[in-house]
Amino acid sequence: MNARMAFGLLRGALLGLCLATTGIALGADSLAAPNVAMPTTVRVTLANGLKLIMVPRHELPLLAIEAVLRGGARVQEPSQAGVAALTAELLARGAGARDAYAFTDALEDAGGSLGASADNESLRVSGQFLAGDETLMLDLLGDMLLRPRFEAAEFEKLRDRRIEGLRAAKDSEPQALLGDYAHALLFAGHPFAEPVGGSESTLATLKPDDVTRYYHEQFGPERTTLVIAGDFDPGHMRLAVEKVFASWPRLGRPLPPLPAPQRRHGRRVFLIDSPGSTQTYFWLGNVGVARNYPARAALNIADVAFGGGPLNSILNTELREKRGLTYSIYCYFVRGTVPGEFAISSFVRTEDTARALETTLDTLEALHKDGLDGTQVNAARNYILGQYPLAFQSAGDWAETFADLDFFAFPISRISGYGSELLRVQPRDIARVIADAFPQSADLDLVLIGDAAKIRAAVAKFGPVSEKSLSAPDYSPPARP
Amino acid sequence: MFASRRRRGLSQLAAPFYWARPALALLLTSTLALNAPARGADFAAAADQVQTRTLANGLQIIVWPVHNIPNIVLYNWVRVGSRNESTGATGLAHFFEHMMFNGTTDHPKGDFERLLGEAGGSSNANTRKDVTVFQDWLPRSALETVLMLESDRIAHLAFVPEVVENERKVVYSERRLRVEDSAPALLSEQLEAVALLAHPYRIPTIGWPSDIQSWTLADLENFYHTFYAPNNCTLVIVGDVEPAQLFALIERYFGAIPRGALPEPVRTREPEQLGERRLQLHRVAETGLVQVMYPAISAADPRQPALDLLQMVLTGGESSRLHRALVEERRLAIEVESDWSEGLDPSLLGFYATLAEGASSAQFEQALEQELERVVHDGISDAELARAKRQSLVAFWRGVTTLDGRAELLGEYALMHGDYRLLFSAPAGLERVSASDVQAVAQQILNPLHRTVGELVPDAAGAQR
Repeated sequence: MNARMAFGLLRGALLGLCLATTGIALGADSLAAPNVAMPTTVRVTLANGLKLIMVPRHELPLLAIEAVLRGGARVQEPSQAGVAALTAELLARGAGARDAYAFTDALEDAGGSLGASADNESLRVSGQFLAGDETLMLDLLGDMLLRPRFEAAEFEKLRDRRIEGLRAAKDSEPQALLGDYAHALLFAGHPFAEPVGGSESTLATLKPDDVTRYYHEQFGPERTTLVIAGDFDPGHMRLAVEKVFASWPRLGRPLPPLPAPQRRHGRRVFLIDSPGSTQTYFWLGNVGVARNYPARAALNIADVAFGGGPLNSILNTELREKRGLTYSIYCYFVRGTVPGEFAISSFVRTEDTARALETTLDTLEALHKDGLDGTQVNAARNYILGQYPLAFQSAGDWAETFADLDFFAFPISRISGYGSELLRVQPRDIARVIADAFPQSADLDLVLIGDAAKIRAAVAKFGPVSEKSLSAPDYSPPARP
Repeated sequence: MFASRRRRGLSQLAAPFYWARPALALLLTSTLALNAPARGADFAAAADQVQTRTLANGLQIIVWPVHNIPNIVLYNWVRVGSRNESTGATGLAHFFEHMMFNGTTDHPKGDFERLLGEAGGSSNANTRKDVTVFQDWLPRSALETVLMLESDRIAHLAFVPEVVENERKVVYSERRLRVEDSAPALLSEQLEAVALLAHPYRIPTIGWPSDIQSWTLADLENFYHTFYAPNNCTLVIVGDVEPAQLFALIERYFGAIPRGALPEPVRTREPEQLGERRLQLHRVAETGLVQVMYPAISAADPRQPALDLLQMVLTGGESSRLHRALVEERRLAIEVESDWSEGLDPSLLGFYATLAEGASSAQFEQALEQELERVVHDGISDAELARAKRQSLVAFWRGVTTLDGRAELLGEYALMHGDYRLLFSAPAGLERVSASDVQAVAQQILNPLHRTVGELVPDAAGAQR
């Protein structure tokens, strides 16, 4: 039982922010930028284009690895939603000389882990091993990426389990499905509209060949970056990586361009009916901004102050602290190479649905009208300055950080200059960011999971309503008449 | 930390011990068998970095200086949880976790978060069966602000009726999210109350709905004065601090708070279970669930490392026995997990499954029983033991990597096991466990007469929820 639940989300947001090494105090009320020691890296690109970034850290006898393949769900066929995620998960279920059981045994006998997953723009394998196990680690990872078996029996077992997992989520955590419904509505016509993990209906149509085809069309060394952090010798590691990965032939297919989703105008309501639900889960959003948004420090300050940060965020104060409407309300930006969504999300008693939506819309409107005052800006800035070093403690943290910098082609100054960037943010920067990055309350898609019979009439005033049953096997809104 | 399915998380963070290189070299040569003496020796030596102090008013302080980042993590462990509650007043410990953020006589509601945030800090808290833990994450420069705020809320909490009523609604919202809209959590909540007849571990930490709706202001004040006293708290501080300076600051902010009368001990012991118990729960749902619970042991029980390894063999990872047999081979479930939360008193060992389509709860139950009987009768192999140890060890190192992980583990060992120093001998303790120890603990706990079985029967939508 936690006092709040948005915290995990915040930690994730801070992770994307990065470090400062210099302190420039601009105001008596501002903290100095914290001094976090940046690890040195050793970088190599193999002849086949595979990039290797090594981050030696000798404090604990652990190794962390991140393998990032650019592509992910956005390069799958729209009718095959879920194929990238299924491909990722199947990599470790039989590869090279080992069948699924032998592979897991080799991994877990060593106490290691290698988890693969897909997101909108990449497919990632993250692992942890004890120091000294680098040969095994690279052997297993090499088999996963170069020699996956994709056996039909394993495919079928995993696909069925994923379908049942989606159904089980409807009984245990309906809020986890909000994003999939919201993406189907907001990003219609764009690759981001498709659920990364697939839906019950798309998964049911997938065949083993689809996975094999995705693999052959989308996996290649020139799309891949390996980041290894932890207790190892870089010279030895480099040789070991070359031994395993030098023979991987280039794919020779450039990634197709990814169009930027366009912000929508007006409001729509998408109501997902969950009969008997005691509360309504809601998501209000529109297209936000990309990761390379130039005013990222001002954006992060505004985000933290409005709803991405502590318990006294503007949203939490209005809905939780003043009105007791919810245990938690928060906002977030999904920022890839192109903009994902800005969204506000929460859950309230069924009978409070309309009131909570009104309050939320009013709060966003007030942000645009009134902006943030100097105290709010400074508090949010100090909060970020004080918290973000906590995101850089383990070898795994550093592996993720350098993988992220590489993925977005950001320079190291993205990290080393962050603190001073935060300190340079002025009130006018905040005003510009609010106008620019946060959608207007009149331009939002409203996605609700709740008891439609009880809330249908009350939510009609927010925009034209389309409806779907929570038990339906997909997320798309019904075709408009 | 309600309804967590696994042993509580050591997860996340990272921070250095500065391992002696010769010892590390030894580690690199070890294969399946752990090089326990070398590791144990190094880690045990790290215990010397930790310093402790007890103030005259009984406040206990444990400090682990770590200087890799300019931050500090402070956990205030208060010895009160749902274990200390009684009929009609369930959920109070958790409610207090919330109330502690809602203002004091000196600082009205909102001040805590505002002052903390302005200083660059953040906070959270969690309530468990045995303890309530208040957590602060701060830059070094915010230390004094945080000590002021933490001491203020231990000494001067305010009870404003409107604030209490607002928080009651917030807590009920949390209950709807975590329990009422989650079939697995609802089943666990009721099953614990069936598995235990007498011991207060049967009380749901978030509280029964009617209690949440009917606590009085007097109940709250009484609870606060009973449990929130310095001699019922342990401050665990890890990070960029100098212990001598820290002890002086803590003395300044906490030293004047008077000692309280310690609460009555929890006397109730669960009577021995004399036969299987069963629970059925009907609910609109897409998938069936089965949960099985057995009374197990307390955190301080010497069999604890053996029970950890038993759990690892049964449900730790995809090579584990239950995953292989029930998920991969027989496809009766889409997931099987186990949970045993360390407690001051013997707590429940639970198995939790989401059934696969077409599998009946009877089929699943029978298959689970076969697997549990197999470990009871035949024990585990040396290879399984070695794997479980290695998996546990990686999890352990990952746990002590971060400031958070260390604050959690120091507190857990200090309060649940009785001495924080035991943390530093934990890897060696794990290594000493034999396959027959694991079999013995399985025989003692997995007794069919001690089983309580819960089943969620999915009703179609439209039927009564």
